[in-house]
Amino acid sequence: MTDMTAVSTETQPPAPWPDDASLAAASHGGPMIELRGVSKEFLGDRSSTTTTHALDNISLTVNEHEFITVIGPSGCGKTTLLRIVAGLIPYDSGQVLVKGKPVTGPGPDRAVVFQSFALLPWATVLENVAFGLETRGIPRAEREEQARVLIKTVGLAGFESRLPRHLSGGMQQRVGLARALAVNPDILLMDEPFGAIDEQTRRIMQEELLRIWGYRRKTVLFVTHSMEEAVLLADRVILMSPRPGRVHEIIDVPLPRPRGRETERTREFTDIKELLWDKLRVMQTV
Amino acid sequence: MAAAAPQPTASAAPFDPAPAPRRPRRSLARRLPVEGLSLLAGSLLWEIAGRTMDLPWLPPLSMILADLVTLLGQESVRANIMASLQALVIGFAISLVFGLVVGALMGRFRSVEAALDIYVNALLVAPTIILIPVFFAIFGLGDGTRLSVVVVYAVFVIIINTMTAIKTVDPAMVEMARAFGASEAFIIRKVMIPASMPLVMAGVRLGLGRAVKGMITGEMLVTFVGLGALAARFGSQFDMSKVFAVSLIVLILAAVTNWLAQLVDDRLTRWAD
Amino acid sequence: MLVAFLTFWEVAARLAHNIGIATFSDTMVAAWDLMFGNGRIWEAMLNSNAALVLGFAISAVTAVPLGLAAGRSRILDRALSPYTAILLAIPVAPLVPIAITAFGLSLAARVSIVILFAVIFIYVNTRAGVRSVDQRLVEMAHAFGASERTIWTKVVIPSAVPAMFAGLRIGLGRALTGMVAVELLLVATGVGKLLLEYRDRLQPAYVFATVLFVIAEALLLLELARFIERKVAPWND
Repeated sequence: MTDMTAVSTETQPPAPWPDDASLAAASHGGPMIELRGVSKEFLGDRSSTTTTHALDNISLTVNEHEFITVIGPSGCGKTTLLRIVAGLIPYDSGQVLVKGKPVTGPGPDRAVVFQSFALLPWATVLENVAFGLETRGIPRAEREEQARVLIKTVGLAGFESRLPRHLSGGMQQRVGLARALAVNPDILLMDEPFGAIDEQTRRIMQEELLRIWGYRRKTVLFVTHSMEEAVLLADRVILMSPRPGRVHEIIDVPLPRPRGRETERTREFTDIKELLWDKLRVMQTV
Repeated sequence: MAAAAPQPTASAAPFDPAPAPRRPRRSLARRLPVEGLSLLAGSLLWEIAGRTMDLPWLPPLSMILADLVTLLGQESVRANIMASLQALVIGFAISLVFGLVVGALMGRFRSVEAALDIYVNALLVAPTIILIPVFFAIFGLGDGTRLSVVVVYAVFVIIINTMTAIKTVDPAMVEMARAFGASEAFIIRKVMIPASMPLVMAGVRLGLGRAVKGMITGEMLVTFVGLGALAARFGSQFDMSKVFAVSLIVLILAAVTNWLAQLVDDRLTRWAD
Repeated sequence: MLVAFLTFWEVAARLAHNIGIATFSDTMVAAWDLMFGNGRIWEAMLNSNAALVLGFAISAVTAVPLGLAAGRSRILDRALSPYTAILLAIPVAPLVPIAITAFGLSLAARVSIVILFAVIFIYVNTRAGVRSVDQRLVEMAHAFGASERTIWTKVVIPSAVPAMFAGLRIGLGRALTGMVAVELLLVATGVGKLLLEYRDRLQPAYVFATVLFVIAEALLLLELARFIERKVAPWND
């Protein structure tokens, strides 16, 4: 690929890890996402009258630049929670605020990375990455320029004109990540983004995500069912319990950053993971 | 999202967002019998148009229904219906046996598929009606023409679906049965046949619909018996109301046979829902 | 394989001794005559295809937007569903006299029959294409704040293209059937007239040859449709 972009993340020297002071100076550092007593029920299908309490009285604050992971047994409503914050589904009661404003639908301040990748099968990598910008009416030249930068960032340079079905799962989700980052959102909402990817690739993707997050430091809400992943990535892990979906506990992860594979070998990492498993084991029904 | 998120308004598309917090409730449009109302409105419109416009080709619906009752009361008409049914049943039975056997062979053996594929596909997509004069030239005015028209309408879709069904049986399932030491006959009986049943039955149902069309078209073109001959006769007398009435009989026939096929289908493929 | 089939045809026809059956070689001679001898096939084809082209075009132009709309609007879909069921089940052949009464022995009558044959399959497939759009893609587009218009042009319609083309192909085949049906039944013109005439004059070789021409046209048109589809929707191989 020709290097037509003047500024690309790859050509910059690796960004130094931003210290807390410089981050605080650059932003208001206040709450980015606030949930106040949010509840959600799903009606059963047409014939039945059963309802499911997907979420029950959820209260939660996510601060700017925070990386939050959400974990819990299936049926705990973690994906529902993410979709409510994304503005994709309505909630029944309570309040959902993003940057202090109530959520009434999807907005340019949030971008979603989907478990199923949700790439348009007829669109090339470049077109897929530029999709979010296209919906905002950004002219072709400009959006493609931005998209190329992000394609490079996620390590897909040279694949711009490929179709999704010619890419491996890991590469497809790199496209999904680039698409989300391309709109330069304040918040990244990631719904089990590596759940459909094999273990080896997933580990590489986790490292990639940490690397990219290192110099962008978006606020991230990351749903997962992997305990290693939850602890490795997060500043705080939200542990949810099922039926009805509730916040069971919030666990701090005071591990130093930048993190990587070596983090997983530390005693502190193992301790937090074991703690998480002890709590999950109790509510897990097989 | 559509499956889980209740639609907030009547006009909401399956992919409309419903972001505003509100109590979900069932919309009015969901509860209305839209299909029935639409059919009623269409019938009324027809009746009114038929009465006011007085076009020879658009008799009022009530007149058609009255003719339908009259026709069904006539001995000769009932004899023609029976004649049509006979051609349909025999022709469809031939199609079924032939279609299932040839389709299964094509699905199981690559050589058979390679040999027949092009002809089956050509005859499936080519306008079948063009063959009717050929059959007429060969078989004349006899039952041979009527039956062969029904068969040529129905058989190819049964062949294609049966072939595809056999070919797409999950190889993992067959392998599983082999791993348990099942014999080839056992695998066919217990794995291949049930697994291919939904697609096979879909082909059989399509074939049945086409058989009804073949029956009526063949009768219109080449014979003096059956519903098709009735329709042709009324058509040449320009008695449009009776033509519509005969069409209605055929439609009822198609609906009843489809319903019967549905019953069989439901019994055979209950696991697939 | 083709050789085997043609040999079988030739031998069987010779052994059959049926005045209705022409041998392969006789059929080829007749085909040659139809093309370059009396040359009647060209005029007949041209005449027949006028109804086909018009009827198919009108079918496509009405059925595709209607299918898109019904795929999107549940209420429209339900309102149309009884008529869809009727049109799918009803044999069109008996309706030919009605079209003749309405339009006379004209091109309009032939076109209307072609439409009756073709339109429903295009509609049903287009609707199914819209219905089967991957909802996860639609949700993704919503999450990125796409407008309704963007969702239609960038997600729904591209997704529906393969099913739509399948419907157009089936519709094309049906349109050909309609074209021949009306010519055989009432308006003796085009290839239908040719067929009936040669049948009545007991010239089976010419009947067979004409049939082959129509089948060849059907296959050619379908191949053409496939070609266009590959151009329009190359991601769907």
